[in-house]
Amino acid sequence: MFEVQNLTARYGPLVAVNDVSLSFDTGIRMGIFGHNGSGKSTFLKCLVGGVRDVSGAVDFGGSPIVPDQVHRNVMLGIGFVPQVQNVFPNLTVEQNLHIAGSKSDSSFLKEAYALFPLLRERQDQLAGDMSGGEQQMLAVALALMTRPQILLLDEPTAGLAPAIVKNVLGSLLRINSELGTGLILVEQNVLAALDIVERAIVLKGGRVVFDGASEELRAKEDLWAWF
Amino acid sequence: MEYILTVMVLIGINVILATSFNLILGYGGLMSVAHPIFYAIGAYCSGLLAIHLQIPVPLSILIGAAIAMVLSFGVSLPSLRVSGDYLVIASIGFQLGILHVINNLEFTGAAGGLTNIPVLNEGPSRSLVFVLLIAVVAACAVLLVGWIVEGDYGRAITAMRNDEEAFSALGRNAMNIKIVLFAIGSGMAGLAGALYAHYFAYVTPEQFGIFTSAALLTMVVVGGAATTWGPLVGAVLLTTLPQAITFLGLPVSIMAPLQGVIYTTLVIFFLFARPQGLTGGSRGGGGLEAWSASAAFRARRRAE
Repeated sequence: MFEVQNLTARYGPLVAVNDVSLSFDTGIRMGIFGHNGSGKSTFLKCLVGGVRDVSGAVDFGGSPIVPDQVHRNVMLGIGFVPQVQNVFPNLTVEQNLHIAGSKSDSSFLKEAYALFPLLRERQDQLAGDMSGGEQQMLAVALALMTRPQILLLDEPTAGLAPAIVKNVLGSLLRINSELGTGLILVEQNVLAALDIVERAIVLKGGRVVFDGASEELRAKEDLWAWF
Repeated sequence: MEYILTVMVLIGINVILATSFNLILGYGGLMSVAHPIFYAIGAYCSGLLAIHLQIPVPLSILIGAAIAMVLSFGVSLPSLRVSGDYLVIASIGFQLGILHVINNLEFTGAAGGLTNIPVLNEGPSRSLVFVLLIAVVAACAVLLVGWIVEGDYGRAITAMRNDEEAFSALGRNAMNIKIVLFAIGSGMAGLAGALYAHYFAYVTPEQFGIFTSAALLTMVVVGGAATTWGPLVGAVLLTTLPQAITFLGLPVSIMAPLQGVIYTTLVIFFLFARPQGLTGGSRGGGGLEAWSASAAFRARRRAE
């Protein structure tokens, strides 16, 4: 269970997330949406302690999320996939997976390959030589190697072709159904993401302006006015 | 003969310095240029301990290296908060600050330098024995760094250099790796400084300034950053080259700046023509390409 109480996050004088309170179960599929600068990526980072200047409280399973201690917070059972810097280009696919696995359970390597057969085929390839979609798959597999209860993904489909977007989102849905791992997605690609999430949050100016079922958001005639 | 042995001692010391600098800068991607100050700390601490406390020279050498290792926190702690250009600035500040202290303390010999440092060994074969010793220490330094960067720990260092945020997101502690890299690298530089002090028996603050940082950077870049043998090749080349040009018989007014011109030209040439250095492979084999890979990679991902 994630509990967020009166969370405010700042970058210097700029308030990126403003007094947000939310709670959600670990098995949830939730999308966080909003226009550029709405605070959605910052909010996601706060869930894993990636922002230093915060007030309020974030708890995961009864344990406090400590700001600026990402490496400790993820070991509570939170997988975090950053938007861009999410694989190690100088290492092969297998070496990437071992970096993640060496801190947790490397026996999960076989399961990761079962989830992403393409990664097994490319295990000796440098991650930096893979396509954007393949790297995104690897990034998700890396996060899964820490055996998280919930995955936080910052724009996992950014810059990908529509066919690849469908593939990546389909993989995420499979992870949720097969492993029971929760998904929190920050996405610009709202319509595609609404297909796989059950709850939607819309942020504007760092505040929550919508919190409800994904179908409720999709049904809004003025959907695009929200973004 | 004595001249050749002295040059060989300098080569050995520069191999230790360049190899340890490569561990921090090349493998770790930690943009600190303050490496010569740990060379200075080792030299001064060991020299002062031997002069004022009459500590046996071998022991003072080890203590000097240990002090350099401990004082590496002066750079590794800022590196936990800042990186890249900011770490360069922080490390320059640390280097110049310590040099300023050395320059103004009476017991360090101030700007005139520390003299009458007891030598490690004496006798007719003094230089030859010292060359053998420094060769063994330099070989151990190269092998130690090679051993550190192999295997799981080496891959973790590469991953941290590639991307710290992604590394932390996998539950790995980048802070520990940075502290270990700085401590080992700085301890090795301190050892090199202590050996230098107890061979030449004299050190001055000007030996440990920004010019030495530039010389070490050139050795690493020319030889091949993030390669095992690159710093060795760079150190041999960049130590013998300035010695060789002294035989050209040029006036001092030309000789003095010529060394700087050579270093600058080599760095610029290798940046553009062979960023992997002399020993780096053509693909993923180290050098500046390995250094800059994550930056280029991120830029490409953003463009996509």
